[in-house]
Amino acid sequence: MSKERGGSLIFLAVGIYGLVFSIGLPLGRWNEPGPAVFPLALSILLCASGIFWFIQGKGKEEKKESAGLGGFVQKYKTPLRIVGLTAAFILALEPLGYLLASTLYIFVLFFWVSRYRVWIAVVLAVTFGPGSWLFFDKLLATQLPQGILPF
Amino acid sequence: MDVLNNLLLGFQTALTFKNIYLCFIGCLWGTVVGVLPGIGPLAGIALLIPATFGMDATGAIIMLAGIYYGAMYGGSTTSILMNIPGESASVVTCIDGYQMTRKGRGGAALFIAAWGSWVGGTLSIVGLMFLAPTLANFAVKFGPPEMFSVLLIAFILLGSLGKGSFFKTLPMIFLGLLIGTIGMDPLTGTMRFTHGIKDLYDGIGFIPVAMGAFGIGEILSSTEESLIRTVYKIKLRELLPNREELRASWGPIFRGTGLGFLIGLLPGSAHVLSSFVSYTLEKRLAKRPEEFGTGRIEGVAGPETANNAASESAMIPFLGLGIPTGPAPAVMMIALLIHGIRPGPLFISEQPQVFWGLIASMYIGNVILLILNLPLVGIFVNLLRVPFRILFPIILLICLVGTYSVNSSVIELVILLVFGVLGYIFRKLEYDVAPFILALIIGPTIEIAFRQSLMRSAGSFSIFFKSPISCTLIVLSCLLFFWNIYRAVRPKKEWEKALEEGE
Repeated sequence: MSKERGGSLIFLAVGIYGLVFSIGLPLGRWNEPGPAVFPLALSILLCASGIFWFIQGKGKEEKKESAGLGGFVQKYKTPLRIVGLTAAFILALEPLGYLLASTLYIFVLFFWVSRYRVWIAVVLAVTFGPGSWLFFDKLLATQLPQGILPF
Repeated sequence: MDVLNNLLLGFQTALTFKNIYLCFIGCLWGTVVGVLPGIGPLAGIALLIPATFGMDATGAIIMLAGIYYGAMYGGSTTSILMNIPGESASVVTCIDGYQMTRKGRGGAALFIAAWGSWVGGTLSIVGLMFLAPTLANFAVKFGPPEMFSVLLIAFILLGSLGKGSFFKTLPMIFLGLLIGTIGMDPLTGTMRFTHGIKDLYDGIGFIPVAMGAFGIGEILSSTEESLIRTVYKIKLRELLPNREELRASWGPIFRGTGLGFLIGLLPGSAHVLSSFVSYTLEKRLAKRPEEFGTGRIEGVAGPETANNAASESAMIPFLGLGIPTGPAPAVMMIALLIHGIRPGPLFISEQPQVFWGLIASMYIGNVILLILNLPLVGIFVNLLRVPFRILFPIILLICLVGTYSVNSSVIELVILLVFGVLGYIFRKLEYDVAPFILALIIGPTIEIAFRQSLMRSAGSFSIFFKSPISCTLIVLSCLLFFWNIYRAVRPKKEWEKALEEGE
């Protein structure tokens, strides 16, 4: 798929979402425009942009470097790993607490994504996980979740 | 006289130990993010926003502004010494700067880049000092129709001067404006696109969106390329330029200052555009233009001066009108909003110590940066030896904890990740993320201005043409819109192709 068509699909999807959910909002009148006017107009413009770029993208198909899901995963494995790990960190943050979740998160990032040896990843995780907790929680007095730990 | 008195007040604010320290930290961090490819000034500012929560607004803006203009100084270092632009505005500096390094004149190129940056930056602050209050006084008289037309032309200019084509920027602006409508409608109290999620009632948070789209998005792009960066050995020979180089650089420095100052007032990637325009101008004015690209000092002096001048003058519409013209001022605006201060026409009169403290700190910051970037340049170059595979997990963690600390909300972390992925996808698809963020921030203002105008006129669109300011700006917006259509269909000029490639 060409870059133009890739972008057009995002604009179309958001535009259609906007259209669907702004139709239920009050439109008001010209002398008192309602809360639907702006989002509705923008959704229509987004859909129009999506259609425009979809047509523009015709004939600009990119060369296929690798086929199938396996090729896609291989090509984008580092960003995919980071996104997956970050999602796991977000889910674990409140149940586990910041100190534990951040140390584990940093460890897996150093070990699995940055490809450091286990002991180096452990040292880095133990330095930066609790280090960031001390800096933010204790020094800057930021409210961070405690989770299962008593502190 | 009024300006001098106010500047004195500014120096009284800026010359406290705490504010000098914050200015130094901002400049130091700015130089670091400028030197390190993969972390731009935006991510640099966004990362330090959580650290400003315990500060007053003056200290916060002094530090964040230091990061912004500090990154412009630092960006030239890797361009000159390693042929890697540390910051997008320094792309053009690679052309002649790196060739000078290969000829053994890298030290002189660094000196001229820092000197030009200082001259451009300092003269631009003088302009900022006089122009911003004048603009603010003028804008105080603005009603909703004028505000709407100013924002309309700002968006059209953003589309015209941003990265990529006008028609590629427009949907990004629409997207930002649409996402800006999420939350409670300020005029009627109706909930829009909240789906019962309480965290969205006040609207979508700027911090998770900006940090996601710029910080996480930038990291995902950088890690995809390579986690292990090759660091070349650098030999810094003579730092002082010779007489011929000094003589040749004066003209480009002063032309770059004027050019950068004017371009900085326009919305879009002004600092990138200013460096390209300055390079093209110097090449046109040169007696032997064919020597450009082989290591001419004018090719370093002009663009480096212009991008610094542009970054300082970009603060004029941001502080005077409350319209951030670029992504970095937009992120600074978010920081000020968090501190309960809204930049705009009333900002300078209501918060003189913040505005004049910032102005004074910029003079101090430029001197700090000159010191940091000349004798200490070797230390910053050594920073490149820290592997990116160590840096990125730490940056990710700071982004996450920074976002969480604003409202202690996990939903905001989800927003951060979603917009991080979106930012990354848009980078891959070659769409500029900056207009999206700007539209998100300015969106609610333009919507209110539009609706209030129609309410005042009982639904008549003639209100937009009754005031001379509004009428002129709307006519100009229409002309600009049609000019962009013409520009899209006509064949591209050589410098336009070069600018697109550089971006």
